Amino acid sequence: MIKIPRWSFITFFLILVIAVFAPMGLSRSPQETVAKPFAPPAWTGGDAPPPFSAVLSPSQGIVVLDWEWEAPENISIKGELVFEGYSVSKLVWTTPDGRTFTLASFQGSGKWPLDLDGRDITFKTALGIPPLANALPLLFPSRGEHRVSIEGDIPSGGSLNLTLPGGKWGLMGTDQRGRDVLALFIMGIRVSLLVGISATLLASFFGLSIGLTSGYLGGVVDSLVMRTVDVLLSIPVLPILMVIVGIWGKGLWQLVIILGLFSWMGTARTVRSLALSLRESCYVENLRSIGASPWYILYRHLLPEAMPVLLATISLGVPGAILAEAGLSFLGLSDPRVISWGRMLHEAHGFGAFTAGAWWLIIPPGIGISIICLVFLDMGRSIEEMADPRLKGSLRQ
Amino acid sequence: MIAVRNLSVTYRTAARSVQAVTDVSLDLPKGSITAIVGESGGGKSSLVYGILRLLPPQAKVSGSIIYDGTDILSAKESWLRDFRWKKAALVTQGAMNSLTPVLTVGYQIGEVLRIRLGLSRKEADKRTAELLGMTNLSPEYAKRYPHELSGGQKQRVVIAMAVACSPELLIADEPTSALDVITQAEVAATLLDMVREKGMGLLLVSHDLPLAASLCENLAVMHKGRIVETGPPEKILGSPSHPHTKELLSAFSLIGGPG
Amino acid sequence: MRSYWIRRAIGAAAVLLLVIAANFFLFRIMPGDVVSSIVDPRFSPEAKERMREVFGLDQPLLRQFVIYVRRMLTFDFGISFLSQRPIWDELRSRVPNTIALLGSALLISSALGTWLGVQAARKRGGITEKVVLISGSISFSFPSFFVQLVLLLFLAYTLPVFPLRGSVSIPVPQGAIDRMLDYIWHLLLPAGSLVLLGFGSWAIYVRNLMVKTLGEDFILLARAKGFSESRVLWNHAFRSALPPILTIFLLALPGIVSGAVITETVFSLHGVGKYLLDSIMGHDYPAAGAAFYILGLLTIISNLAADAAYAIADPRIKVGRRAGM
Repeated sequence: MIKIPRWSFITFFLILVIAVFAPMGLSRSPQETVAKPFAPPAWTGGDAPPPFSAVLSPSQGIVVLDWEWEAPENISIKGELVFEGYSVSKLVWTTPDGRTFTLASFQGSGKWPLDLDGRDITFKTALGIPPLANALPLLFPSRGEHRVSIEGDIPSGGSLNLTLPGGKWGLMGTDQRGRDVLALFIMGIRVSLLVGISATLLASFFGLSIGLTSGYLGGVVDSLVMRTVDVLLSIPVLPILMVIVGIWGKGLWQLVIILGLFSWMGTARTVRSLALSLRESCYVENLRSIGASPWYILYRHLLPEAMPVLLATISLGVPGAILAEAGLSFLGLSDPRVISWGRMLHEAHGFGAFTAGAWWLIIPPGIGISIICLVFLDMGRSIEEMADPRLKGSLRQ
Repeated sequence: MIAVRNLSVTYRTAARSVQAVTDVSLDLPKGSITAIVGESGGGKSSLVYGILRLLPPQAKVSGSIIYDGTDILSAKESWLRDFRWKKAALVTQGAMNSLTPVLTVGYQIGEVLRIRLGLSRKEADKRTAELLGMTNLSPEYAKRYPHELSGGQKQRVVIAMAVACSPELLIADEPTSALDVITQAEVAATLLDMVREKGMGLLLVSHDLPLAASLCENLAVMHKGRIVETGPPEKILGSPSHPHTKELLSAFSLIGGPG
Repeated sequence: MRSYWIRRAIGAAAVLLLVIAANFFLFRIMPGDVVSSIVDPRFSPEAKERMREVFGLDQPLLRQFVIYVRRMLTFDFGISFLSQRPIWDELRSRVPNTIALLGSALLISSALGTWLGVQAARKRGGITEKVVLISGSISFSFPSFFVQLVLLLFLAYTLPVFPLRGSVSIPVPQGAIDRMLDYIWHLLLPAGSLVLLGFGSWAIYVRNLMVKTLGEDFILLARAKGFSESRVLWNHAFRSALPPILTIFLLALPGIVSGAVITETVFSLHGVGKYLLDSIMGHDYPAAGAAFYILGLLTIISNLAADAAYAIADPRIKVGRRAGM
């Protein structure tokens, strides 16, 4: 019988694919400014204009903008045009009320490089306004049809890119530095998965070794280990992590090691009780009586027996590590150069997302963390159920 | 008198449904001692718990159990609460888990007296000591917790608790089966003393045919949810007519049971 | 009974010693000079020399540790690098805020969670059970600070019902009652969010324990006695499930303290957790160590309180065995 995998396995696979491939698809660095700070997502309502870009070329000498919003933050026209022979040409801006502005003009032959920015003084001088005035309200006096056109001789080659940064951006808007939140969000998946999985693997390795040793040796070692586990479990972990990270440094790998060092206790307990019950079982007794070495029993029998439980423990442990990483990053105890979901929430909290009402800085990373946690929890439970079908349908935390 | 008529009990779970009791009719006259015997899983417990309407919600019950003209199975909640313990009380396998572990024995007996009979705390304490005495336990056991008692002692406490309201009928579900042989005999004797002394009826459920037969006036043999044989114990033991009765008997003669 | 208390006390002392040792060694394995982690680098050489003597830095490590333990136990934490004031003076005003946050959140979420858990166990498949299940999975997978940020955004910014930050209004209102109300108003959202995040998991634990308990023989017998359903539920079932519930309380405690640190940061509360973060951020190591120690101490004291409740709830404690552990 073919079993349909649980939703969590499919989701996990999808997340993995996104984490690996999506950053490659980003056209620019996620650190780059793409729009004004705190620009809301493009699909939201309101008067803020969406980003706009168009190309002027010999074949497309005019661009018409149907402008239904307030004036954009800025305008930029970049590129070069090529003229064969002596030509006279200019770049003309026409407002809905019919006024025209010459943005730039050219006389001669060959290349005409252009780099216009609405904030440049030369640009403002060309428009005939003082250097401290804002050029945009002049160019966008009202809503309606705006045009930008190449007038005079037609160029033979090259092109100009017109971009208006827009007060809205993309699927998830921008943050306090005008960075694309979607790009940051996608980069954040990597950190969560990386830290979550590697810290839990490390913790499971510690837990497995300590638990097996403790359960197999028993006696003084065992009770010493278990008391240590008890004591460690009764200290709040986050403050310890905060102190250690504060002293030792905020690097990603330091964080993985620290998280691994402080989350092996649960695994150790589970593995220990498993090892204890197996040690007492007739089947290990028989193996020992026919002269199997402890290592052989450990590797050939105890470990395979413990494997499903261990796999489930790993999967169930990942959310804890992800939440711990996110918590520390949220508190600001992470490398500021590494983009992570917790860091995004930290910056949203610390850099005025509230006063800007920028919910799009808070919801995506939070939901992202929750979904990844739920996926790992569900995978862990599925593995547990596969290992022990009696658990099916029962209610656990 | 309690009359069970055409009682059927079916347990339904998601996977399957099991019929535990099939079309059972049984009369329990006031003051009589009746025993139901049969192998475990034969539907005995479902039958007796039905009398107190204590079956779990997934049990589907049909038929009727009439007490004084009222059908217990369809009676109102308030009537049922009044019926329970004052008219019919239950003695479970006390050695197992019948006593609330975190409450003292004295509190648990006193609770019944205070809540069901409206006794004051002081009266209840006094009566609790008497009840413990009647079951051959010293009154200082009142201060003890269940985990501090032996199996036989716990069973005595359960009996003391059951007779606290002087019910008309005592339902004893395997009252001795978790005990060792000597304690078994002692507890059975205590139970019988109490019943005789107070003129209570007793419905004894057991898989131990010889023991049941030695105590009861009327014996019913249950097999696969049906009552296959009823009558005075001498008659049934002397000339068992149903193969299952013979099986039960031979099982005990084989291991030389206390019959 | 006595052996139980001796063991609990030894356990608490072990945790306390571990916290102090962690403090002592963590701040000493830092890169650089030991003195710089304890004494403000901006101090004059004479002041540094004096601090060296106070801390016994010229003495052997073990001696230093003994001095350190004594100072921790007497709340002598030294001078803060950042504020140049005695650390204990700064912490003292913050401890009540943290206790108020932790205490109210713990009490309300455990009471609400317990009640819901019991109701869910009584009526399997009912609405209560669904509420418990959903709120439980929320509290297991939603990061606390995310939920709190969302609450803050919608209930303090979009709908300005609650204050955006702080433990009191500035200026502080006049009159004891007004000040009290103002304090509660500032506490409502932080404590409420902790309750929102906490009661679900609590309710699931209680429900699971109650479902197990309700299947026991003594519950059947209690029903047979003709007791009311609420007497069966609370006096017999809940009373019996209480010891394992308290065990869970104990296990959950460190996590709740960790949650308080984050909550204080989100809501900018004047508490020990926020102080810890500020000190770490400002490389104010003695202050960070002291805040960590106080948080550890709060956990240990709550632990002992739960142990005491456990001893009362479980009569089996007398024989020195702990159920459910």
